[in-house]
Amino acid sequence: MTWQTFAFLIVASGAFGYSGYRFSILYKLMKHHQGKAFRLNNLPARIQTVIINILGQQAVLKKRAAGIMHTTIFWGFILISLGTVEQFISTLYAPANFEFIGQNLYSLLVKVQDFFTVAILVAIAYACYRRFVIRPEGLGKSRDANIVLTFTGALMVAILFMNAFHILGQQPWYASAMIFSEPLSRWIANLNASQETYASLGTFFKWVHMLIVLGFSMYIPSSKHLHIVAAGPNTFMRTLSREKGMKKINFEEEGIEQFGTGKVTDLSWKDVLDYYSCTECGRCQDLCPAYNTQKPLSPKALILDLKENMYRNKQAILAADYASVTHVIDEHVTEDVIWACTSCRACEIACPVFIEHTDKIYDIRRSLVMMEGRLPAEAQTVMKNMENNFSPWAFSPSDRANWAEGMNIPTMAEDSNVEVLLWVGCAGSYDDRNKKVLRSFSSLLRKAGVKFSILGTEEQCTGDAARRIGNEYLFQTLAQANIDTLNRYRVKQIVTACPHCFNTLKNEYKDFGGTYEVFHHSQYLARLIQEGKIKPTKAWDETITFHDSCYLGRWNNIYDQPRSVLQSLPAARVVEMKNHHDASMCCGAGGGRMWMEEKIGQKINVARTEQALETKAGIVASSCPFCMTMLTDGVKGKDMQEKVRVLDIAELLDQSV
Amino acid sequence: MNIYVCIKQVPDTETKIKLNADSSWIDTAGVKWIMSPFDEFAVEEALRLKEKNPGSTVTVLSAGPARVIDSIRTALAMGCDSGVHVEIAETADNNLAAKALAGALKKEAHVDIVFSGKEAIDDGAAQTSQLIAEYVGIPYVTVALNAEYGSTVKVKREIEGGAFELFEAPMPLLIAAQKGMNEPRYAKLPEIMKAKKKEVKLLKMADVGVSETDQKIRYRNLQLPPPKQAGKKIAGDPATQAKELVRLLHEEAKVV
Repeated sequence: MTWQTFAFLIVASGAFGYSGYRFSILYKLMKHHQGKAFRLNNLPARIQTVIINILGQQAVLKKRAAGIMHTTIFWGFILISLGTVEQFISTLYAPANFEFIGQNLYSLLVKVQDFFTVAILVAIAYACYRRFVIRPEGLGKSRDANIVLTFTGALMVAILFMNAFHILGQQPWYASAMIFSEPLSRWIANLNASQETYASLGTFFKWVHMLIVLGFSMYIPSSKHLHIVAAGPNTFMRTLSREKGMKKINFEEEGIEQFGTGKVTDLSWKDVLDYYSCTECGRCQDLCPAYNTQKPLSPKALILDLKENMYRNKQAILAADYASVTHVIDEHVTEDVIWACTSCRACEIACPVFIEHTDKIYDIRRSLVMMEGRLPAEAQTVMKNMENNFSPWAFSPSDRANWAEGMNIPTMAEDSNVEVLLWVGCAGSYDDRNKKVLRSFSSLLRKAGVKFSILGTEEQCTGDAARRIGNEYLFQTLAQANIDTLNRYRVKQIVTACPHCFNTLKNEYKDFGGTYEVFHHSQYLARLIQEGKIKPTKAWDETITFHDSCYLGRWNNIYDQPRSVLQSLPAARVVEMKNHHDASMCCGAGGGRMWMEEKIGQKINVARTEQALETKAGIVASSCPFCMTMLTDGVKGKDMQEKVRVLDIAELLDQSV
Repeated sequence: MNIYVCIKQVPDTETKIKLNADSSWIDTAGVKWIMSPFDEFAVEEALRLKEKNPGSTVTVLSAGPARVIDSIRTALAMGCDSGVHVEIAETADNNLAAKALAGALKKEAHVDIVFSGKEAIDDGAAQTSQLIAEYVGIPYVTVALNAEYGSTVKVKREIEGGAFELFEAPMPLLIAAQKGMNEPRYAKLPEIMKAKKKEVKLLKMADVGVSETDQKIRYRNLQLPPPKQAGKKIAGDPATQAKELVRLLHEEAKVV
């Protein structure tokens, strides 16, 4: 045993022992969470997503420059880690190394390792430039990040000098493969020192490198660098499909005393893995409509604050003393933070490690509303309306079909032998502006020869708003009533002009016994145009910009159909706003915000309207009743109603046919 | 403290009122029934008083047909401890209801305070609270905006012209709540679950010492208000417009 073996054994076992202990605590904290997480399904798709997004870095590369930087560091880290492992092994037992893989392969390995050592240094230089010169807001200031960059940079420098002195001291056969270290060694050779001195300096830098690696291993558990361990599993265990419903609560289940999240431990282990995966890149925050209009919510801060809450309660959690765990609402995660969310999901879609922010927010709302009755007064009114009138607005249920007056649209009670059920929704039923959209859409269905009925006064609110506000109990009451009605008429196909109804009917009712083929009217209209059943003829000599509805786009990946409807309009010029598709900005109405006052910061609908006005389009096209209301108000707020009209895609098409 | 709240079940504010076949009552088919909103302030006030005085109980009372049990459960879900349902006919008047509720209160061993809404939003009579107090024989303050509970109760009530009156009364007393007295709470789910199991005592008219003869008003030939007329626009120069307006007010509206 050489002194190196001996020293390494002591230092490494100490470092790995301490690091392992810290990791074991992280693991235990995760296991102590009470909430239910999904089970793993669809393994091939999970393996695929890991290959694409971890090995292929696809999600990270959505941001070009930062993505290339990260991919360089990631692949460099993997390859250089092989060298680090070899180094550890050969320190323990000198003759052991990886040369058994063959000279060609080994020298190739050495070459790429040497290449990436410098590539990582370049990437680190860019990271520093970005962090200290460009300073993107989402990145923020982080001592942790500075430490990680210093560590990583120092590691690379140590490797280069280690290799260079190694070449001079040992003259290994693969020296020429070290494309950067070899020239460095020639430069150092100018020192004219003895071979023994070079060999000792090589050993010195090897130890510098090993000690930094060991130090890093102890530091990682408390750092955002923890993502190197957690992001892989988190990607593997991500929610695979774009469409997702909120988690169902089984109220019949005996023994449940807590509904929703009142304490961090009410969340699931997967939520904790989300915290561990967060690398604080800020992409979620960059696109958050609440954050960008000075609300106290930042999705990034939320994840970090929940993690902090968990760490603060570490002793109680590890002792399984859940009663002593403090409330999830604290000085950081305030009620205002939780109520600011519009459920637009920009954060989740932008997240390169597939953290699900909205699930946590909406589970916290459930506890606030159902367990504690803590909710904004306006939200309370909305729920009372839904309880008493089956609509978020206070209108009589007997007036639900009044929008269709004079159109002779049959109800299902009158004629259920139809191709498709037109789901009107509360906005289409009661809101004067959106009633017109429904009339246009119905007229288009007529013109296309589609046989359809409505439920009339039998329709009730889908419960979307109740669910997003946090009242799962009310949501299930409404859902069950609707599903009973729909199943009684044996409804198979549903079309609706409301993306919120669409999402709930399509992705959420199936958990309660309601499985239907559901279409948004943009899909339906695009198809009717394609089939030649609707032929737009009259010209729209206008510039039109399309506003993506979150529940259509981000929640259901429907981007092309509404645009194809607009492109079918003769003479119309369709232009995009600054933010569109997955990066689109919410109108501010989702997540029950439609019915709540916006007391903090700039109004989201005004901010979005400003983006629409920047395009100089004369028409802002919408495909959602709430977006319609928010953008119409926004245009009025900007005093542009004389120049800019907000129209639904169905209205635009109907006027062209 | 033994706290009591009297509530009334009324049609939801958005109900389109229709009359029954012989116009003797409204057509109750399809009506969504709710607790009268002013009574929600009464329930909230009762619950807040209970929370400030541990060991207190809140009993909710309502008089009406079988359907009123739902509104009693709503109050229980907000946090009341038990309920009393006095069964009286759908078409009972305020006097019969008040006397029935007073009868139920008098059966209780000890009453410290009674709350109710200042009026029910269906008939808007605003007299049941006062009648209850009269029949029980306790003081009352109506249209109350806030109350301070001590050895006596100091109640601020709203009067016409945006002015206020301050009353002081000993317990037991009845306080009829005005909108703004508090922000009624939204029932928590565990409380909704518990409410289903809380005790609601059913009393018949005979149990509380009332009979049909206590009904002083009987309804006959109800009529809906005439549908709202479209507005009239008076054209012409200001002098002609003024002249025409005066003529219409005098001849058609008969107010000047």
